Amino acid sequence: MSSKDDILAKIKANTHDEWKRPELAFTPLSYSEPLVQFEKILKAVGGNCILLENGQDINEIILKTYPDAKRIASNLPEITCATVNPDTLEDPRELDGTDVGIIRGEFGVLENGMIWINQHTRYKALFFISESLVILLDRNRLVNNMHEAYTQPDFDNFGYGCFISGPSKTADIEQALVIGAHGAKAVTVILV
Amino acid sequence: MKIGLFIPCYINAIYPNVGVASYKLLKSLGLDVDYPLDQTCCGQPMANGGFESDSAKLAEHMERQFEKFDYVVGPSASCVVFVKEHYPTLLHKEEHACISSRIYEICEFLHDVVKVDKLNAYFPHKVSIHNSCHGERLLHLSSPSELVIPRYSKLRDLLSLVKGIEVFEPKRVDECCGFGGMFSVEEAATSVCMGQDKIRDHMSTGAEYITGADSSCLMHMEGIIRREKLPIKTLHIVEILSQGL
Amino acid sequence: MSSHAKAAEKFIADRERTAWHDQALYFVREKRDKMAHDVPEWEALREMASQMKRHTISNLAYYLEMFERNATANGIHVHWAKDAEEHNRIVYDIIQKHGGKNLVKSKSMLAEECGLAPYLEERGINSIESDLGERIMQFMGTPPSHIVLPAIHVKREEVGKVFEKELHTEPGNSDPTYLTHAARAALRKIFLSADIAMTGVNFAVASSGAFVVCTNEGNADMGTSFPKVHIAIMGLEKVVPDYNALALYIRLLARSATGQPCTTYTSHYKKPVEGQEMHIVIVDNGRSDILAQEDHINMLKCIRCGSCINTCPVYRRTGGYSYSYFIPGPVGINLGMLKSPEKYSGNVSACSLCYSCSNVCPVKIDLAEQIYKWRQDLAPLHLADPSKKFMEKGLKFVMERPKLFYSAIKAGEIAEKMPRFVLYNKLDAWGIGRELPVFSKETFNAMWKKGKVK
Repeated sequence: MSSKDDILAKIKANTHDEWKRPELAFTPLSYSEPLVQFEKILKAVGGNCILLENGQDINEIILKTYPDAKRIASNLPEITCATVNPDTLEDPRELDGTDVGIIRGEFGVLENGMIWINQHTRYKALFFISESLVILLDRNRLVNNMHEAYTQPDFDNFGYGCFISGPSKTADIEQALVIGAHGAKAVTVILV
Repeated sequence: MKIGLFIPCYINAIYPNVGVASYKLLKSLGLDVDYPLDQTCCGQPMANGGFESDSAKLAEHMERQFEKFDYVVGPSASCVVFVKEHYPTLLHKEEHACISSRIYEICEFLHDVVKVDKLNAYFPHKVSIHNSCHGERLLHLSSPSELVIPRYSKLRDLLSLVKGIEVFEPKRVDECCGFGGMFSVEEAATSVCMGQDKIRDHMSTGAEYITGADSSCLMHMEGIIRREKLPIKTLHIVEILSQGL
Repeated sequence: MSSHAKAAEKFIADRERTAWHDQALYFVREKRDKMAHDVPEWEALREMASQMKRHTISNLAYYLEMFERNATANGIHVHWAKDAEEHNRIVYDIIQKHGGKNLVKSKSMLAEECGLAPYLEERGINSIESDLGERIMQFMGTPPSHIVLPAIHVKREEVGKVFEKELHTEPGNSDPTYLTHAARAALRKIFLSADIAMTGVNFAVASSGAFVVCTNEGNADMGTSFPKVHIAIMGLEKVVPDYNALALYIRLLARSATGQPCTTYTSHYKKPVEGQEMHIVIVDNGRSDILAQEDHINMLKCIRCGSCINTCPVYRRTGGYSYSYFIPGPVGINLGMLKSPEKYSGNVSACSLCYSCSNVCPVKIDLAEQIYKWRQDLAPLHLADPSKKFMEKGLKFVMERPKLFYSAIKAGEIAEKMPRFVLYNKLDAWGIGRELPVFSKETFNAMWKKGKVK
């Protein structure tokens, strides 16, 4: 018998009662003012939220937010300020040294500031290796909580996906919060 | 309604005044109270130490002693909850068919059964409430800080009936004091350290007394207070509620 | 004295450090409380999460097979390991097949459980921990003292010293930001040069064949972004039925663990990217035995958040190394006993039965209740401390004989020996920091008999 068969046989032999699946018996958190909550929670997790006003240009905002950025990577068609299209690189290691990466988020979660990123770039390294990450997000796609997040239509349609909530952080030295462990040191969400 | 007064072993031997105060308090409320003679121990120390089966004879003894009472009331949350939760197993009986269903910690009894709303006690002192672990997390005398439920405290409710008193609670409102029965000697260093921390937390409220529904926690803290000659005292809550009787 | 009591005594001897450790962990507990209180449905959420785990555990074979089927269809290679040895061998074989030399790994308690790092080291594989806390511990050559906060027992000055030696940071600089960024720079090179990536698994979603890895640092994702091979290892209890179930645990995990609304990165791996190989090793290593133990089956619900450790007043004052099992605190006491009562019974005394752990547990595991049960089991297993047993028997003997009990108290000289009976241990254990209780001249019983109670 293979190890798999052994393990499954043992599990079956040791399983006695069948327990029914519970039903959702509570009303999960929801928010009456989504934009206010999103800005608040994003700030709480160390991120920065910009609401795109009518007539404002995304590229201008990005350049104004990161005036010192030399290497800006994005494969999004509306990002004209990009200096490199990451999808044209031969190796993800070439992304090291990226000052700003710009990507699109699918939807945001109000209870925790998460934004669902479905990998639509060649290298997921972009999400983590960029010193600063800019996420463009549709302001009409803010869901209340994780229950809603995981029931978004087509959610499961990904190869790699990541919920990102603010910049990379750690508190491994004496519980002192430090922003910028291994991933992005800053995250700006532009609500379009 | 016949009430049997349950006086746990160490209260009997070390803190008989807690027993006297309990009796007086219940009598003053016009209740019919009797004390079955020759009580010893409920068996909790053996069980918490890992010898639950050794408590069986003691459980049978308790069960016989309190057979004729409608309610069994005792001034020790920890002992009461042991009887409540473990006696059905020890006695091989359903909960409703044995003492477990009729036993109450005295504050719980005053608050929930007698529903006391007036006391004549006067105690012009600052006290800090000791929310004992078993009183709180097992007997629900107050709301545990871990749980997302409405805050309440039966001890505070009762103390608020005392005139002149100022009631405080430590910053870590329900941190364990480190008594833990067998734990206090098996892990003596940790137990003492926890006790010292707890007493300092109580002292930082400015209280003159630490009060609670478990004499065992108070005994442990009193031992440290006396050793270190700290400017705070311990007092069982019934000794405050029965002031002036 | 139990092994924990002995080690605890040493730890506590440094009172300043004990207070510092206690405060650091209590701070995490307070952050957890705040997060929990921000979710009005918290208790219902815990209850549902607990029931969902129980449901999953009672259909474990079904969900594991579903996970394997879907993961395989997604292009993931699924392996099964009965024990630590087989797990290590599978991992090593994969590395060998690809000629791997440099492995970069994110935090995994399973790897710790299986002793993977020394196993690989003996075989010439260089394995680097990428989580900052784990990296600190790797530099120090000691295991993590906490499952979520590996270096919580280490002071910043000590980290500074280690980094000075290993990463050539400025002498005397122990600023956490400075040190963290130094580690960031050093690990960046390691991420870019590693040929094998390893991660743990927080949740495996049966319905989708995807697995989820949660980190704050982004180290798991950095690690898996460059090498051609990603090996993920999981204990078989990590499987959840589907995304609706997953939602419960994602809501609870970070709030309970560190008092954050979520981890910074909640990564979902479903398909290897082109040119990459993805492996997942499903490990039993004693877990299926727990299924048969009704008293302890709830341990399989554990999502390793560490909240029971943070709230434990004993752990906070005695540190992770006082426990002989590699997981400390209430969860470790229980898992250690399930692993081997002979080896790990010395931790069972490390509990004052305060029950705070059972209250914080996001999946409502009856942690304290189980420790109580283990204590009952120690005597039949002949693992109870002999002196404790002796005292307990003495106490029982007296208490079963009311006349003896009261005459013992009455005779003045026995009164001094009473704590032996009441406290069933040597007087000096009580007396190390406490005065003995003063026995009353008259018991309540005697007062009653004389009609003095009015």
